[in-house]
Amino acid sequence: MDFRLTPEQEKRRKEFFAVCEELERKRPAGIYTLMDAFETDTPEGIAYEEYCRKEFAKRGWLRLGWPAEYGGIGTMMDKVFFNEATGYHGVPGVDVVGVGMLAPMLIHVASEEIKRRFLPPIGNGEVLWCQLWSEPNAGSDLANLSTTAIKKGNEYIINGQKTWTSFAHRAHWGFGLFKTDPHGRKRHNLTFLLVDMKTPGITVRPLYFFDGKHFYNEVFFDDVHVPADNIVGEENKGWQVAQTLAGFERSSVGMVMTLQRQLEDLVKYCNQTRVGRQLLARNQVIRNRLAEVACEIEAARTLAYHIADLQDRNQMALFDASAIKVFSSELWERMAALAAEILGAYSQVKTSKWAPMGGAWESNLNTCFIASIAAGTNEIQKNVIAWFGLGMPRPSAPVPKA
Amino acid sequence: MDTTFTEEQEILRKAAADFLAKEIPEKKVREIEESELGYDPHIWQSMADLGWMGLVIPEKYGGMGMSFQDLTIILEEMGKNIAPGPFFSTILGGAYPILEAGTEEQKKKFLPRIAKGELIFSFAILESQAICDASDMKTKAVRKNGSFVLNGTKLFVEQANNAHYLICVTRTSTATPPEEGITLFIVDTKSPGITIEVMPTIAMDRLCEVKFKAVDVPAENMLGEENKGWILAKNIIERAAIAKACESLGAMEAIVPLTVEYLKQRVQFDQPLAQFQALQHILADMFIRVVAGKYLVYEAAWMKSEGLPCTKQVAMAKAYVNVAYNELSRLMIRLYGGNGTNREFKPGLYYRRAKAAAVAFGGTDFLREIVAKEIGLVS
Repeated sequence: MDFRLTPEQEKRRKEFFAVCEELERKRPAGIYTLMDAFETDTPEGIAYEEYCRKEFAKRGWLRLGWPAEYGGIGTMMDKVFFNEATGYHGVPGVDVVGVGMLAPMLIHVASEEIKRRFLPPIGNGEVLWCQLWSEPNAGSDLANLSTTAIKKGNEYIINGQKTWTSFAHRAHWGFGLFKTDPHGRKRHNLTFLLVDMKTPGITVRPLYFFDGKHFYNEVFFDDVHVPADNIVGEENKGWQVAQTLAGFERSSVGMVMTLQRQLEDLVKYCNQTRVGRQLLARNQVIRNRLAEVACEIEAARTLAYHIADLQDRNQMALFDASAIKVFSSELWERMAALAAEILGAYSQVKTSKWAPMGGAWESNLNTCFIASIAAGTNEIQKNVIAWFGLGMPRPSAPVPKA
Repeated sequence: MDTTFTEEQEILRKAAADFLAKEIPEKKVREIEESELGYDPHIWQSMADLGWMGLVIPEKYGGMGMSFQDLTIILEEMGKNIAPGPFFSTILGGAYPILEAGTEEQKKKFLPRIAKGELIFSFAILESQAICDASDMKTKAVRKNGSFVLNGTKLFVEQANNAHYLICVTRTSTATPPEEGITLFIVDTKSPGITIEVMPTIAMDRLCEVKFKAVDVPAENMLGEENKGWILAKNIIERAAIAKACESLGAMEAIVPLTVEYLKQRVQFDQPLAQFQALQHILADMFIRVVAGKYLVYEAAWMKSEGLPCTKQVAMAKAYVNVAYNELSRLMIRLYGGNGTNREFKPGLYYRRAKAAAVAFGGTDFLREIVAKEIGLVS
């Protein structure tokens, strides 16, 4: 056991942090956290995201840990350090869907032809992706999806609707699960397809988050023709492909560093803010509660490092990954609630002259739910832990509808 | 970076687990708890024969010269088994203090005998306020001829009833601040003037009141420098805190599978309780708390083992574990239902020890205050 980084790793990590710190300085007002920066839909926000993406792409940082033959540089640990840096500094520019999930999955399971076609534009930061999975009646029960892709000659014809599709309004491409065998058994009837979002018949309509932000969408498919070559894996075996990909969604190290930064910002605020007769920092209740979350952030950080260490050795840490996803996302929710109590009336103020910390916490109070719901809700993660990690029997099947 | 244990360490863990399962099964734990002494001299000797007492003692003093982290592996396994006895107090409260602050003569005199299992030690620090604060160190040691005379009362001294020696934290000067003027002594429990009484406690772990009435301690038994003992005492506490966190982590790791097993066997509504999702998610949450705390504890133990400054990490690890162990053992009782409250079942064994572990070597609020300072909150 040795939690130290090698001098070479230290050097790389410092480099990632230095660049991200510089990018943070250029961040437009009203963008505070990793999630916010990505989700900001203003012209300045979009321009900033593009600028950061190009800065990373030219350094090769969107290809960290890839095999050299596809332009990869660095190690899996470098990718972890880079995620830490973007998370800590709240910098966008890494397409969490394309760079974070699709690319590692393609490297593991896709055909050579697909890799050659799709990896370079992701690595060069030229193409943004969206994930066409959830449907109105297929959220946690994803395999219940009903959008069809019927094969006709050299094409699949897609009809149906996807929802909660983040960034679909900006994405150039989408990857999705579609029903290719309407009469097949559940989970054995789905195919994983790559879809050009400019294809005729695709309509993207905004769906607004409860605070009015636009980052996810509804996507409608009306006789959309997709070349059969755009398949990943085999027909009707898309579920397995999706499972592989889900494993890459849950390395939460970036989120943990976002929380670490939030804690540091809160400490700074408490050290400078006098309420009544004392500094907030001298309030025993506040000290105790900030210390409590500090312990939990450090716990999440050490676990994230352990998971990264295992992944670096090509070992899967399936239940640990589910555990840290639940732990850190719930920590995020509690952290936002704690900040609201510390900031009192000021916690509710959006970006304006009245807002402490630029309005970051009003924003955080809204977005803190994303991580616990996206990428397999925490409740689904707990099922996974109970059934497969702890070997508890699945509850009896529900009574069939009359 | 390497977050895994070495092959040798895995072998050590397996050997410890096997020994504990064989020698200290649940029945034995209960027997020891109820026994007069609160430890089993036969098992004590077997542990010494395996080399556990000398594990961290250098070879030149008759030990095996292994690392603190190696020791924490054994403590983690003992925590799973909730094995009672004076192992913890002897190693953390005797061997380490002498190893770190003792003179060559003291090392030669005590360490080989500890390694052989001949001596039981304990650390006597807490007094009436039961806080690890220099201001509460009121037991006096006054120089007289070639020795010191001790007067005062120490509380919560684990296994003092079985100990041959105590490492005692005393006040040798009333200088301010109170941190200056503390001196540690190695005190023979057979010295005239010492009375030891077992305090009845929730974990029945033989915490004792030790009274010193004009107890004569030879000057050569001073541990470390006169009036400069507080730093030494703090180091002993910090090391004991992370060691206790490792032990508690072990208990937490045991609670989850034990509870799953029980829920699989217990049938209500014609199905095993384990099949109810309401209970599955509680178990998943318990699992998550264990996994999330594990590397926090390992990291702090590793830092201590490497001699790196780790005040923050130790406080964080113990504070986290204090809460988590209490919560897990509470849920264990709840999930066992009526049987959870029954003395014949396991939950009470863990729950009672969780209460003792959480207040040993730093309670949660005490530790969080350390963390608050370490994360930069001005005080």
